[in-house]
Amino acid sequence: MTNRLHRQGTHDGLSRDYVVFVTVARGINRKGSGPKSQRFLRLALDEGPVNIGVNGKNLITGGDPEQMLAGITDDSHPSAVFSNLEAVRRLVGKLKEEDLGLSVTISALTDEVDAILRSQGLVRHSIEHSLGILGRTERLPTQQVLELTSMCGHGCVSHNHARKMIDWTKLGKLTPRQAAKYLARPCSCGVFNIDRGEELLTKAMDMA
Amino acid sequence: MLIDKEKCVGCGNCVPICTMGVISVVNGTSQVNQEECVECNTCYRTLRSEGRNPTFVRSVRWLLRQFRLAYDAPPDVCPTGALTPPKLTWPRTLRAEFSDPNVKHPSTGGGGRGTEEIKTNDVTGRVQEGKIGFAVELGRPGLGARFHDLQTVAMALAKAGVFFEPNNPVTHLMTDTKTGVLREEVLNEKVMSAIIECRADAAQVPEILAALRRVAGEVKSVISAAIAARCGPDGSVPYLDMVREAGFTLSLNGKTNIGLGRPRFEERQQAA
Repeated sequence: MTNRLHRQGTHDGLSRDYVVFVTVARGINRKGSGPKSQRFLRLALDEGPVNIGVNGKNLITGGDPEQMLAGITDDSHPSAVFSNLEAVRRLVGKLKEEDLGLSVTISALTDEVDAILRSQGLVRHSIEHSLGILGRTERLPTQQVLELTSMCGHGCVSHNHARKMIDWTKLGKLTPRQAAKYLARPCSCGVFNIDRGEELLTKAMDMA
Repeated sequence: MLIDKEKCVGCGNCVPICTMGVISVVNGTSQVNQEECVECNTCYRTLRSEGRNPTFVRSVRWLLRQFRLAYDAPPDVCPTGALTPPKLTWPRTLRAEFSDPNVKHPSTGGGGRGTEEIKTNDVTGRVQEGKIGFAVELGRPGLGARFHDLQTVAMALAKAGVFFEPNNPVTHLMTDTKTGVLREEVLNEKVMSAIIECRADAAQVPEILAALRRVAGEVKSVISAAIAARCGPDGSVPYLDMVREAGFTLSLNGKTNIGLGRPRFEERQQAA
């Protein structure tokens, strides 16, 4: 449930990272939601997402986005990741206009989302913030690694995988874009922001 | 996860992919520390099987070594398809249910780690005005946690007077939701992470946050904690001051339910 919440980063880094997704309430509006979820993803695809997630597949593992869209059922809860604020603003406007009736959540800087909603005549309904990390924090890797791995909230992008991709970009074995795509692969919900991954790996390379 | 030793050629691609860092190459083949593996299947899902003949791959690698050469396979393949997901039995099944986002919890019928929580709050009204929701996730990011640590935290939160979310899979493992005690046989199971979901009156927030801070020093892993609420009519966030006064810092980012779900909770209530 919090898999899109605890993304680590600075205000600047997080300002190009928006996850938009729909959720159905079981027992209330799940039945017949498939076509509505499909419509959501169609609208999202029109805005050029950097990653999408459908039925355990992402843009790297899922192949053709049109086939992924066609595979959406009542049990699907598709998501789309953007690096562009204006694309999200347009998507929110279209979702409001089409009134699909599905709950829409945006994971991003809360002040930016608030501004987007107000510009579209909407008021946020509910909100969730991270309170940070407690406990044995001395066991955690560097912030550089955490910013990459926390883009998969289910923890499927391992710290060692991020370290390897940082090393391989520094060695010139992979470009930052290629390495970001490899890191996006294990995130089956498709919420790993490939653009941001590339940006973070480029920064890491520059620090070599 | 199991690794077929007949097939494994020791390329080592699965080592960094392992979310818990518990795969290592020993004597030329990969080995999994079964005690620490959380059965997330990430290695199996991420590494494409190239289906190559193990003898052929070993021969090529041997030949290259003679010329002091090496071949780095692409980082997303298992050349021989040596990774084999095992058939799990209770209570080890919990490891996959809490660690592999593609496995559903039989207890709740849902996938992932928790529930719909505020994502459908516009429709369900789960966290209403005057109430505050908490999501206390042990093991995240990337360290994993055992259920005895979850029990420690759940008991501390129970003492602070929270109401545990009934549809949450951790709540389903409790023998008593008044005390937060979990079933004895699950306590040593390790998972990638698990979320204790609960809610309380807004007035209880200081006590709950204090309990959370205290108990965090008693666990062997990390806790990613979150707080959630229904916004005010003007979009205001009701817990800002409470959190600040308790010495916590809210994240810059968060999840916002933008209120487009239908039928609205209020409409359903009126209809009922």
